[in-house]
Amino acid sequence: MSDRKKASLLVVVIDTNPVWWGQRLEDGPGKSLTQFLDSVMVFTNSHLMMSHRNKLAVIAAHTNQSCFLYPRTESQEAAAGGGEPGCSAGMNDGKYELFAQVNEQVMEEVKKLVLTSLEGQTETDSLLAGALAMSLCYIHRCEKESFAGEDLSSRILIIKGSEDNPSQYMNFMNAVFTSQKQNITIDACILDNESGLLQQACDITGGIYMKIPQPSGLLQYLLWVFLPDPTMRPKLTLPPKAQVDYRAACFCHRNLIDIGYVCSVCLSIFCSFSPICSTCQTTFKFLGPPKIAKKKQKKPNS
Amino acid sequence: MASALSGGLITSGRKIDCKDLHSYLRTLSTSVLDKLYNHPATCLAVFRELPELAKHYVLRLLFIEQPISQSVVSLWVDNKCHSEHQEVVHVLTDIRVWQEQPLPGGMQGWILSPTFRQNLKIALLGGGQPWTGRGQLPPDKHAKDVAFLDKYAMDRWECILHFMVGSTEGTVGVSRDIIEVLLNAGLMKESGSDPLPTISPTGFQFLLMDTALQVWFFMLQYLEMTESKGLNLVDCLSFLFQLSFSTLGKDYSADGMNETQLKFLQHLREFGLVYQRKRKVMRYYPTRLAINLASGISSINSTPHAHGCIIVETNYRVYAYTESPLLIALLALFCEMLCRFPNMAVANLTRESVRNALARGITAEQIINFLRTHAHPETFKVGQVIPPTISDQIKLWELERDRFKFTEGVLYSQFLSQSDFELLRDYAQDLGVLVWDNPSKRVMVVSRTGHDDVKKFWKRQKAGNS
Repeated sequence: MSDRKKASLLVVVIDTNPVWWGQRLEDGPGKSLTQFLDSVMVFTNSHLMMSHRNKLAVIAAHTNQSCFLYPRTESQEAAAGGGEPGCSAGMNDGKYELFAQVNEQVMEEVKKLVLTSLEGQTETDSLLAGALAMSLCYIHRCEKESFAGEDLSSRILIIKGSEDNPSQYMNFMNAVFTSQKQNITIDACILDNESGLLQQACDITGGIYMKIPQPSGLLQYLLWVFLPDPTMRPKLTLPPKAQVDYRAACFCHRNLIDIGYVCSVCLSIFCSFSPICSTCQTTFKFLGPPKIAKKKQKKPNS
Repeated sequence: MASALSGGLITSGRKIDCKDLHSYLRTLSTSVLDKLYNHPATCLAVFRELPELAKHYVLRLLFIEQPISQSVVSLWVDNKCHSEHQEVVHVLTDIRVWQEQPLPGGMQGWILSPTFRQNLKIALLGGGQPWTGRGQLPPDKHAKDVAFLDKYAMDRWECILHFMVGSTEGTVGVSRDIIEVLLNAGLMKESGSDPLPTISPTGFQFLLMDTALQVWFFMLQYLEMTESKGLNLVDCLSFLFQLSFSTLGKDYSADGMNETQLKFLQHLREFGLVYQRKRKVMRYYPTRLAINLASGISSINSTPHAHGCIIVETNYRVYAYTESPLLIALLALFCEMLCRFPNMAVANLTRESVRNALARGITAEQIINFLRTHAHPETFKVGQVIPPTISDQIKLWELERDRFKFTEGVLYSQFLSQSDFELLRDYAQDLGVLVWDNPSKRVMVVSRTGHDDVKKFWKRQKAGNS
């Protein structure tokens, strides 16, 4: 009975920030989005290959929107015209049907995403918090839909290259604490910029945070470190935990700060003192800064 | 003086032996195994049935072309799981997924079997030959939907089960081939007078198994007979695995299949694993039975039916919301039927009825498993699918029959003097082979293994005395 088969749902959030990927293209060949997607798709297929009960979702975090790449939502399905004619392309080699279908859908949706987002402003960061919230919703739905008596364990893998955006701090942290409550592990695979936000997310939910030393070996890192699900991990020798940057972003200017002011009522964080908390409107009666100065004066006396 | 009494071993019905994929593969010769790995579908199926840890090993090695030192591989796991590591190494070597190869430094290394690696890569990444039947097909005029296929498959399969229980409904569609497989598997036996074979004790156990498991067991028995029918085992197996990886409700072309596979396809059609409108039409639809085959392979608790209908209450009453005569017949194997309504049947689990089932060789585990897999979806919401009192009681009823423990032994009796008896008894006791003794009647029983020693000792003793 102990060997009871569990279904495992993996949600992969990939960063498709056009600015960051554009910069990579200038670095030289072999680092383009297509190669990255190839590696990710082999990884996702490996996850599906592990067991026929395993499920998969891929979400793209773009600069101004987040959207599902796999599986298609109903409206996407309608737009693709049932998806039937597209399936034939993947059928002319020895690949497993399901894998070919996953690859094709992901490719198609990425293409669509890139083409539709040509207009408008592009930012240097991606909407990670939104993508995370979407994956949490999807996981919740899958858990509800799964048949009673079946165990569904879910986890999220975020593959990210672009910079952090402190303005998403609140939303992101809310999502992280939700997943902690729901027992969902968040893993992070960092391609370029170290991310304090993700370090915290992984630490809180018990996931693995890793910055890839060699982007060309992405697939092997994914297969080694991120393929085993949390129940398997204690059995394997995996890289040690990285140092966590626990700086929080202040609520007033969204700067990451080491030391700041915390409202005693609602625990909001501020980088500079203000007599009225902007979140809960509490008024602080006494002045903050002079008191600290007084204490400093007292210390040498005692 | 010592009259031998061979302890009669009473066999209470053979437990049905359903192998999982690995134990099946182990029975095959290495040359067959190597040929089998020539198809991506088999590699995929074998991979999925590996232990969890082994899967990770294979994936880690998949893209490494050179052998990896064994000591490095053993460092992949935590020290605490060393025994599990050993087991995994054993499994992978046994079914020839990886091989030992010496490294330049003289150490032993592991390398994935080249054919296995290549074909798993093909399944995962693409390339290579397309699977047979994957060609483009013009749209089918008589296209079938999933609901139709499900119904078709279940009808076909229940036909076989009906035939087994001997109800009149099934006998029409059951061919000689199916009967042969059933006979060969020992699920049914020929009786002298009756032209049709009758069900055997193992057959009852078979009936209580989950459908996916039934199909797998049946296919295993069928595969054992392929050689004698002039079919190529490797062709059949790889086609079967390919089938289990196809999409439900999609049609495939039978073009490009060889003689063996076409013949095999016709057999599968009879079992309900594929749907083919006419024998001549080169187009087939795999049914859920074939696709679920992949899940049936792992013999442990497969997923419960979505359309279960049995509710078990703590007062030993069983309600089955079904019209299927088959299910009710199965229920009647271990329940006492009380009443039958148009859409439901009521039965009682009694000591007598369960003992009858146990006497037929059905185990308590099988009864409980049957009730669980056919449980009504509502019962899952309560938490306990079968009330623990019921499952415990069924197990107790089984244990009740096992109060006797049979030990084979030899009876020594008619000793001439008490001292002779005591001498021999003490000797046997020292050897630890004495099973039972009664000094007042001067009889003792020695286990079968100890008989020779005790006899020799007695002969020596007698020779010394006289």
